[in-house]
Amino acid sequence: MKKILIVDDEQDIVESLKFVLEVSGYTCYTAYNGEDGLKLAKELLPDLIILDVMMPKINGYKISRLLKYDNKYKDIPIIMLTARSQTEDKLIGEETGVNEYITKPFELDQIVKKVEEYIGQDKQE
Amino acid sequence: MARILFITDSDEKEKLVKSAVKGKEFLVSSEEINIEDILKVETPDIVILDCDIQKLDIKSVIKTVKHYPVILILYAGEKPVGKDITNHANLIISKDADKNIISAIIDAGLRTGTSLQKLADSNQELARSLYQLNVLYNTSSQLAGSLDKEELIKIMIEGIDKSLNFDLACVLIFRSPREPVLVINSIYNISDRLLEALKLRAILSYKSIIEDPPVDIKIGNLKIEKAVKHTIKEYDFSVLRFDSMFSKISFNDDFYGFVEIYRSAPFNTEDATCFQTLVRQVSLPIRSASLYQEIKETNRKLEKLERLKSDFISIVSHELRTPLTAIKNAMDIILSGKAGKLSENIEKFVTMGKRNTIRLSGIINDLLDISKIEAGKMDFRFALININPVIEYVKSNLTEMAKEKNLEIKYTPMSKDIEIFADSNRLEQVLTNLVSNAIKFTPDSGKIEISAKVINARDIQYDHCFEEEIKRLRGNYLQVCVEDKGIGIERKDLNHVFDKFAQIENPLSRKVGGSGLGLPIAKQLMEAHNGAIWCDSEISKGSRFYFVIPVANDKNNFDTIKKQMIVKAKSNGTTLAIINITGKGGFIEYLLNTENIINKAFLQNALIEKNNDGKTSITMLMPEGDKPSAEFLKTRILSEADKYESGGNKCDIMYSYEIEGDSHEKNPHS
Repeated sequence: MKKILIVDDEQDIVESLKFVLEVSGYTCYTAYNGEDGLKLAKELLPDLIILDVMMPKINGYKISRLLKYDNKYKDIPIIMLTARSQTEDKLIGEETGVNEYITKPFELDQIVKKVEEYIGQDKQE
Repeated sequence: MARILFITDSDEKEKLVKSAVKGKEFLVSSEEINIEDILKVETPDIVILDCDIQKLDIKSVIKTVKHYPVILILYAGEKPVGKDITNHANLIISKDADKNIISAIIDAGLRTGTSLQKLADSNQELARSLYQLNVLYNTSSQLAGSLDKEELIKIMIEGIDKSLNFDLACVLIFRSPREPVLVINSIYNISDRLLEALKLRAILSYKSIIEDPPVDIKIGNLKIEKAVKHTIKEYDFSVLRFDSMFSKISFNDDFYGFVEIYRSAPFNTEDATCFQTLVRQVSLPIRSASLYQEIKETNRKLEKLERLKSDFISIVSHELRTPLTAIKNAMDIILSGKAGKLSENIEKFVTMGKRNTIRLSGIINDLLDISKIEAGKMDFRFALININPVIEYVKSNLTEMAKEKNLEIKYTPMSKDIEIFADSNRLEQVLTNLVSNAIKFTPDSGKIEISAKVINARDIQYDHCFEEEIKRLRGNYLQVCVEDKGIGIERKDLNHVFDKFAQIENPLSRKVGGSGLGLPIAKQLMEAHNGAIWCDSEISKGSRFYFVIPVANDKNNFDTIKKQMIVKAKSNGTTLAIINITGKGGFIEYLLNTENIINKAFLQNALIEKNNDGKTSITMLMPEGDKPSAEFLKTRILSEADKYESGGNKCDIMYSYEIEGDSHEKNPHS
């Protein structure tokens, strides 16, 4: 089963994402702050990471930059979630190597579709 | 008492003259050094010079005497003297004159002296008045050029100093309503005790001229500002015994402060007039400066409040979005059935919850939009587009909503050739708002019609309450109309539908809800497109909402405007810059979307053309544009091109401009 790491300090958002993705057949790991998220990402080597921008301690951009500039992790797709919609945010996202940028509020189906685009549907393998 | 100096070495003549000047102070000398001393120390009114004097050279004596304001009388002697000497004399005593004649001549000399003195005095006074007048004039012209209180006070003090040469001046003024300052200008230093005394005196003066003083000035809260010319000496209390003048700085009933000046030499009436005039002259500019300061302060506060409000709305909206997302996600999971089978009632009520969550998030989005627009932070992505896809998209999006009320949305697509320069997402937003309003207010089984056409600004029909918005439009526009057969809007409410938070009172508006921000947002978005939005309506028959956006690639229209503008520039004696920029690889679009002055300039009176070789060119008309501004724009655009190319794009730009209506430019030889 493909592994997805979800990092967001909003527990409810993490819960619902975890639920729909697990129903779709992925194994989900969760972290509620940037520090744990980064640690888990390095330990687990997940197939995809869903990252929130605004988090205490280490924010999403920082995690993304740290992973994308490291050969060991640079190929892991990152989907960034944010409540903001300013263009400059998107530019920072692109600069730090984020693969996809989704603005809150998002549709759960939208996330599931994006995940499928990047790592395929696990059940078919 | 008149003083007479007789320069002679003859005892006989001395006796004779002495007898003739009885009752007057009489000095006699025959030594050159003595003469100098007498002239210097006890300047006589009359000098009588004996032409027969042996010891002295007459010419050199005359030269010395001429340095002093005295009447020179020659006492003719045995040998005649030349004209070069007699020319210097005011009067001459002949060698054989008797006592009476000498006395008469001296008296005549004294009278001449008095008249001359009077003349000199009035001359001097005239010169001084002229100088004061000059200072007044200079000061008043300087005062007129400033809106800064501190500077005004400085100019006034300088003016008073120049015309009256005070030893010390104290000015009480309020930097802000609660900040009294005592500005002290003096020639010499001020002792600490004197400073305390001046402070006390200022406070007492303040309390005595103002009944019910609004600010309680105390030694503790009175700020001091000192400007001292020379620090070699120090003033003490004796300054307070100098002659002084005092004047309020006030306008009508408004009090701004006062001035008090001290001078060791006494002041006369002219000095007082000059002083009062100078102080009066500063009162009006001080009043303007105070008002200006107040306005600036108020503006600053308002701006801060506005910013706070915008920040508040944007923060609150972001914070609201997060829990809203969680609620919506949870309900989505329930409705998807993945969390367990749903009963009919559960589905019904969770759907209700979800519908209202969507509505709430719509309101939050509206709030965010309006705060962004008001803060000037709205992002636009302008491009050349055709309106058909936008209308089709909105129509298909809202078909579901219309079907619920059994309504039909009709649209006949217009020509694909008509292009506008617009942000299609924002147009969708405006149109969605208009059409969903139409759906909300139209009774079941009705019809909603969307239409689009090109119209010239002068053919637009509108209710006169929208005159303000429509009359500034020029040339050809794409007009979109959304027509419903709903309840309509009363005439008196027509233009208020675009006001923020102004939901028109009618039985349906409560029921259909909404943030009340949709139309105000639409209005602002249209303004950003250099377009306009308005409506007309008939009660219980329906409403028509219109918006217009300038047609982008209408060459005929552009040429007409260009011709008109050239004629206008030439007849007004102004200039018109016609600027053409061609570039490829989407550079023009990039330029137009870059957040700077360029896009504002472009959106008005510009023609955008796509050429066959994949290049886009834009021709823009800049009224009042001249060579320097065209060159400035060129530099800006070239630097934008550099930025664009550094992103890995190629743009090959060409920039050219013409200046119309500038005779120097056109005919350099005329």
